[in-house]
Amino acid sequence: MGHDTAEWVFVAIVIAVLCYVGVDSWIVQKAVEDVPADAEVIKVTGQQWYWSFEHADGTKEISTLHVKKGHAYKFEIYSRDVMHSFNIPDWVVFEDAVPGHTNHAWFAPDQAGTYPIQCREYCGLLHYNMRGSLVVEDDKS
Amino acid sequence: MECTSKQQMKTLIAVSIIALVALALIPQIVHAQLAQQTSAKQYINLRAEVWNEFFRMTTAAFTVGAIVSGTMIWLVWRFRESNPKNKAPTKWEHMDDPTAGSYEEEGH
Amino acid sequence: MVLELQKPRPVWQIMFSTHHTDVGYLYLVFGITFLFMGGVLAMIIRTHLFFPGQGVLVSDSATFNRIFTVHGLTMLFLFALPVANGIGNILVPIMVRYKDMAYPKLNAIAFWMNPVGAALLWLGFADTTWVSYAPYSIIRAPGPAADMFIFGMKILGISSILSSINFVVTIVKCKHPDLPLRRVPLFAWSMLTVSLMTIVAMPTYASALIMMLTDRLGLSGFFNPFAGGDPIAYLHLFWFTFHPEVYIFLLPAIGMMYEIIPRFSRKPLYSQASGVFAFVMLGIIGFASWGHHMYSTGMDFTTKVVFMIGTLAAVPASGMHVFNFLATMWGGRIRFAAPMKFAVGGIALFFSAGAGGVLNSAMPLDFISHGTYWVVGHMHLFLIGTIGFGFVGMIYYMFPYVTGRMYSEKWASAHFVLMFWGTVQTFFTQHLLGLEGMPRRVYDYPTEFTSWTQLNQISTIGAWMIGASFAIFLASLIYYSAKGKEANMDDPWGIGGKYYYPVAAKNPHGGHSGY
Repeated sequence: MGHDTAEWVFVAIVIAVLCYVGVDSWIVQKAVEDVPADAEVIKVTGQQWYWSFEHADGTKEISTLHVKKGHAYKFEIYSRDVMHSFNIPDWVVFEDAVPGHTNHAWFAPDQAGTYPIQCREYCGLLHYNMRGSLVVEDDKS
Repeated sequence: MECTSKQQMKTLIAVSIIALVALALIPQIVHAQLAQQTSAKQYINLRAEVWNEFFRMTTAAFTVGAIVSGTMIWLVWRFRESNPKNKAPTKWEHMDDPTAGSYEEEGH
Repeated sequence: MVLELQKPRPVWQIMFSTHHTDVGYLYLVFGITFLFMGGVLAMIIRTHLFFPGQGVLVSDSATFNRIFTVHGLTMLFLFALPVANGIGNILVPIMVRYKDMAYPKLNAIAFWMNPVGAALLWLGFADTTWVSYAPYSIIRAPGPAADMFIFGMKILGISSILSSINFVVTIVKCKHPDLPLRRVPLFAWSMLTVSLMTIVAMPTYASALIMMLTDRLGLSGFFNPFAGGDPIAYLHLFWFTFHPEVYIFLLPAIGMMYEIIPRFSRKPLYSQASGVFAFVMLGIIGFASWGHHMYSTGMDFTTKVVFMIGTLAAVPASGMHVFNFLATMWGGRIRFAAPMKFAVGGIALFFSAGAGGVLNSAMPLDFISHGTYWVVGHMHLFLIGTIGFGFVGMIYYMFPYVTGRMYSEKWASAHFVLMFWGTVQTFFTQHLLGLEGMPRRVYDYPTEFTSWTQLNQISTIGAWMIGASFAIFLASLIYYSAKGKEANMDDPWGIGGKYYYPVAAKNPHGGHSGY
């Protein structure tokens, strides 16, 4: 049964690689899902076809979000109509906006600049144009 | 004599276990103390974590891919009909239908 | 198999026939027709995305959304399923040595539901995307298109359940008593596995469709958050059906490669047992992974881990298939005729797609890949790279048996080279687009990210190559079935050995001396 052995060795190698993938992504996911306790909450609302934001101090913004470098922010993501997906590709921020649910994402920008915000879940006519921008400002305080 | 050697072995094992535990723990304790000294505003770099994971996974995928596709290219080159080494018909071609059945029935 | 082009019959005799080869023909003609119709839509999509900005070809996003929705539906339900069913109809009864399918009339009914479903999908031209996520499909999608989509899918779903029941009964109950189930050829095993999977998976989606319909009519609020429902429930029901459905599309193509590879390697299959084992494993584990489509919907960590493990668990079985193929080729004397070229190309792309799939299942990478062109590239590598290559190879393989004539090996090579290169160029590039963050299902993309434009253009050129390759395919199918050289029906490729298939083809109700 020599040929069986070859196949089982092959399967064992495949399983070993998969275990590595599984364990590694477990560790990383555990780390990145852990929202820092001092993160400032920003409410993000998606609706056809723009994003609106509400800061913890009550400031509201539409399409453009201003945050400060070096702070952690926690997004509370809502949707007012259909499913959207809040995404800042440059900062690996991504979570669906599901009506009736509150989803969370967080990030802590360490680099000032302007970055695109987009919708990554099909939401109708102007899905392609449901874009905004994130402005990370230097913290002068 | 026998007794002392056993004793020695026990000591050796105990010492090495303690040493291993210490080696495993000390860096963690030191690291935790260092982490406490730094400011509370050090967050993990989310995008670096995720992209590093991506590059580790891609490295694994491309390594396995290189092996599999390398094997495949070699197979295609070596066992093509037009390869001079493949002039002679294989032993299976003498059978009535070389493609019927499988290894298992031929008592390999 | 009746040699239609040598002994023509009036077309209604085929249309109203319940004989398994005739129904198989109908499925094949239907599937190949919609392959080209869906292909035209694909060409429109890619050509439109060649230049950013308001397109010349598609002037508004509403039309564009409808085009990619119908492209997806067509390729999955009007091309992939019917072609698999068609080839299954022709080959499975022969492989299990029965005179016909178990229920011939049911077989014909199952086929004739397809044109009705197809008409509803194409005349409606919905814009819900093929996944038709609630609540968009309930509260925003314009009718009657979305309603026609629901009824069309409903009819196609019933048709696929009926044909699955037929396949299961044919293989399990009607096979020749001398033929133990484990000796049934692997293509029939693949049809058995996918039929069982369909019977388990499809009713879930069928009920979800009914719920969606009553939600749209305002009678209920299962998935409508503004009537107390939950859209996530729809996603669960949908993916519980359609992640297994991925294997339902894939396994027949793997089964076809199991037909082609030993034959052109002039060697017995490496291991029948491991092929059967891997099919059954995939059929079971395929149901454990649907949640990996929903990582970003607010799933908690533990659920994500469960679905990641379920997804990864399917990989060893797929790997066993690849191992089986390569080990079958090892030590053979391989004739690289068109079917073999497509089968080997299909294995190579199957591996790339599978590696991408492993990356998709890793939870943190979902932040990067989900909902981007990465996913588009990944699933097209499966659908064209593996399923498309397997099916095209099988169509070339059956060409001489169906038409009694030979296709041109030269044009088939041109088809293969263009299609392989085009697939790699189009869909590997789309992986890169996804890594740069380009969302899928977009009508337009911003120009400030210059590499998006370049990558889209590279991808579009690849798509044109695939288009050209299929133009060659269509032309040679038509031309060589009428004008091709007469095929030697005992051994069309001159590779020696007997074939159970043509022996049966000449005498559909007679013995099967070859197998």
